[in-house]
Amino acid sequence: MNKGFAARLQLVGSYSFLMTLLVIVVFPFYWMTVTSFKGEEQMRSLVSMFWPSPVVTDNYRHLLGKTEFVAWFGNSVFVSVSSTLLATAIGTIGAYALARLKFLGRAFMSSAVLITYLVPPAILFIPLYAQIRTLGLADSLGGLIVAYPSFTIPFVTWLLMGYFESIPVELEEAAMIDGATRFGAFRRVILPLAAPGVLAAGLYAFTQSWNEFLYALVFITNVKLRTLPVGLSTFITGDVYGWGYLMAGAVLTTLPVIAAYVYLQKYMVEGLTAGSVKG
Amino acid sequence: MDSRLKDLAGKLDAGLIARREFLRNAAVITGGTAAGLQALKGMAGAQSATKLRVWLFKSFVTAGNDVLEKQVQNWAKDRKVTVEIDWATFGDREPKFVAAIEAGNPPDIAEMNINGPMRYKAALKDVSKVAGDIATPRGGMLPFAEKSMKVDGKFYGVPRYSMTTVFYIRKDIMEAKGLKPPTTYDPGVVEFAKKTQDVAKEIYGFGQTLNRSDDGDGFMQSILWNYGGGTWDKDGKPALVTTFHDQNLKALQFAVDTITKHKIQPPGVMGWTDVSNNEAFMAGKLVTTNNGASLYYAMVAKKHELAPKTLLVLTPGGPSGSFVGSSCYNWGIFQKSKYAELGEDMIRYMEDEEHFAEYMKVSVGQAGPVYKKRTEDPYWKSDPNFNAIMQNIIRSVPAGSPGPITPAAVEVNAQHILTDMAGRVVTAGVSPEAALKEAHARVEEIYKVRRS
Amino acid sequence: MSISTAELRAKSGLGPKRHGPLVGLARMLGPDYRLGFAFILPTVILVLALVAYPFCYAIYLSMTRKYVGVPPVWVGFDNYVKLTFDGFFQRAVINSFIFTFGSVGVKLVLGMVMALVLTSGVRFRSFWTGVLLIPWVAPTVVSALNFLWIFDYSLGVLNYMLVKVFHILPQGVGWLSEPGTAMASVIGVNIWRGFPFFGISFLAGLRAIPAEMYEAAAVDGAGPLLRFRHVTLPGIRNIVIIVMLLSTIWTFNDFQIVYILTRGGPGGATQVLPVFTYEIAFGAQRLGEAIAVALYMLPAMAAVIIVLARYMRKSRTK
Repeated sequence: MNKGFAARLQLVGSYSFLMTLLVIVVFPFYWMTVTSFKGEEQMRSLVSMFWPSPVVTDNYRHLLGKTEFVAWFGNSVFVSVSSTLLATAIGTIGAYALARLKFLGRAFMSSAVLITYLVPPAILFIPLYAQIRTLGLADSLGGLIVAYPSFTIPFVTWLLMGYFESIPVELEEAAMIDGATRFGAFRRVILPLAAPGVLAAGLYAFTQSWNEFLYALVFITNVKLRTLPVGLSTFITGDVYGWGYLMAGAVLTTLPVIAAYVYLQKYMVEGLTAGSVKG
Repeated sequence: MDSRLKDLAGKLDAGLIARREFLRNAAVITGGTAAGLQALKGMAGAQSATKLRVWLFKSFVTAGNDVLEKQVQNWAKDRKVTVEIDWATFGDREPKFVAAIEAGNPPDIAEMNINGPMRYKAALKDVSKVAGDIATPRGGMLPFAEKSMKVDGKFYGVPRYSMTTVFYIRKDIMEAKGLKPPTTYDPGVVEFAKKTQDVAKEIYGFGQTLNRSDDGDGFMQSILWNYGGGTWDKDGKPALVTTFHDQNLKALQFAVDTITKHKIQPPGVMGWTDVSNNEAFMAGKLVTTNNGASLYYAMVAKKHELAPKTLLVLTPGGPSGSFVGSSCYNWGIFQKSKYAELGEDMIRYMEDEEHFAEYMKVSVGQAGPVYKKRTEDPYWKSDPNFNAIMQNIIRSVPAGSPGPITPAAVEVNAQHILTDMAGRVVTAGVSPEAALKEAHARVEEIYKVRRS
Repeated sequence: MSISTAELRAKSGLGPKRHGPLVGLARMLGPDYRLGFAFILPTVILVLALVAYPFCYAIYLSMTRKYVGVPPVWVGFDNYVKLTFDGFFQRAVINSFIFTFGSVGVKLVLGMVMALVLTSGVRFRSFWTGVLLIPWVAPTVVSALNFLWIFDYSLGVLNYMLVKVFHILPQGVGWLSEPGTAMASVIGVNIWRGFPFFGISFLAGLRAIPAEMYEAAAVDGAGPLLRFRHVTLPGIRNIVIIVMLLSTIWTFNDFQIVYILTRGGPGGATQVLPVFTYEIAFGAQRLGEAIAVALYMLPAMAAVIIVLARYMRKSRTK
């Protein structure tokens, strides 16, 4: 009897905890969305705080019609997808090498994987910009596509290293006995098994690229090539904030990543499971 | 091609010289030869497939930004060149410039704020000639503009307009209490605020943050000047605790008192950023505040109900007078540009009185004059509030006063030394004397570093 | 397939037989060196070109006096020495530590509770993990601005709710204007943004612990607390270490949240190292010193990472 009561109490406690967390997590987004549908006058006053009255679509119409928001959106998609593919591909094979293959320098490199995060981007970006320019990629989306993997590959690699290590070696050896090359075993046996991990890593890389601000601000000067975060920030002109379309833009910028995560989040968890447990 | 001929052509285009005079001078230059005149004709029709990179400043005046872009494009079409325009805003201006200069990739021309020439002079071209050419027919530069654009005797920026702060008053509240605009902070603003505020209705008499922000830094700088003090003495040496100790102490005490003693400010004012006082004023929660003309523009452009109820007056002063910090947006040409002469041409075009007037008129008082003749434009009399804007501009003073404007002075502002000083007193309970000493030590350090 | 093992091995690109004596190059470079190098090469190139090289240049710059557009002037360790005795730098370091450890500490507990709750038999687990992950994936700029608006003293919704709706307080709190609450507010936003990473990672870690271990412990008479100590904690030890490490680094370097909410005020109360660096770099335009500020803490953090990495590798190959 006692155990049942304790269990129910625990359940109640758990749900209360989750509900509280839910409110805290969701409220700012609710607030952001509500603000994006409010008109100017309503925002200045404290009338009907929690619901737009009247509901106004001006902000969205202005955003989509009179600013380059759509172009920014396209740029962000292009850069994020491309750099994610690049980072995931490079990170996956790198992780496999560090997890499975034996070669000189492997021990050092697997310890050093995460050290790149120590370097704050706020410092790196000035010499990095000079670099990108030397490569002829300044003021082009290509520059971002090349630069973004620099801060996504370490995490991708670390995640997948653990993931690969959790796959029994016997599977590859069996494949090789059957006549596959090492690479063939990797491609046909290991990779499919590692799919959740790769997906998780890809999602992470995508999010980081989608939300990145500093490099996009500095490397790109052409207005039409701007990405979303930088574009949004241009709505802040000194001490007059266009809260309305800022929030509208914020909503539209956040939706894609949220959608991607909510839809694919179970892979994220699964991917992190094997990947991170091994450290 | 002779650059003198180009200058003349430029002047002709800018409407600064008559055609006859142009021909006469040109003839003189070319020795009056037919060949020279032929060259002139050829030059006028010269084609070029050149591309210029132009960085413009995106202010809150959206209408102005549009005019700016349109004019640049028109100029480009005229000269048969292409331009690539990019915008810098308040927030991202600095990283953009620094990264571009460091990577060796600055634009050809940029619209900079008052700190630009001082900060980037190593990468900027000497534009003294253009500046002189433009200034002379306009009656010369206003003193503050000349002071701030000149570094080591050379001009690195061609002044364009000034956007300085001004004192806002809720006219309706003032008249309801039968009061007149205050001309001093103490006791003027203090009394005014106490009489007009209504804390129960959450309407506060004065809204001026001392937090790290443009508003806060500007106010702290001004209040020190108002009491006869300042961060620097007339030789440009640190003076917080030395030359102007007594004055600065009084000024700091007053600033702090507005929050702690007189209680004429809203609670939470120490957490304000630049946007907070705008919003508070527009929400009807402030009777007075200091701000740039951006607030006025925002209200007029959006037909805000408080716009007709707002009065702009000269910033109140202290025992030694009334001072505000200067602002001076200007054009700079980077040394790395291959199109310096085209750049100069564009500057002349943009500063042409007709073009500038178009910009100025949509800016609702933002584009204050930097040249003497422009102060006489009837536009500034069209709205009684504009007069305050212009008067404030005319008597504005650059950072570093009463000394010269120096990199150290600019840096002291950038590091929010003065607002930190005030913040330490208000929120950390440090005594004004101690806070002053702390700030002085910091200023000394900056001074030492910047001298070597 | 009638093919000899030797031929098989030769074809597979493995090089000489794994368990036999290694020959020549393979002995020196490792038996898988061909494929290994090929696979790791892109990463190495990218990291060298885009991280290592700029990083080395940054280190060099930190030992110079560098103003914008002007060539650097070598000053050796001068910048670092000056910083050590600089009161403002010291304050920034202290603030950074408070910010980082305050935030990571709460995220750790919050994440752990979240993970435990989600493995304790609640339903709709995917819904919860999906929704609770959202703060981590939203753009920081957006979230920070959102909170700036929420924390606003007079027009913000937080004070509105506390005062007008729930009547908890007589008047609003200056969340961003009092030094105590300012630091708490920025820490709060960082926690809001970061706890999902802890939660999801710990969740993954918990699910990887085989159920049999819990059963065995229960059979041995261990109550829930003991089971937590002896089964759960050791099982997720590695993931906890790694997550805390990553989060500490990321939180320490977090710039946007503090900058957007307070700029480091009021009175420098929330001035953390990244904001301080930014001001020196773009406000004071002293690039050499700015980089020195940013790199100051690096050796200590690198040492911690290396030690922990070795510790975890050892436990992994056990």
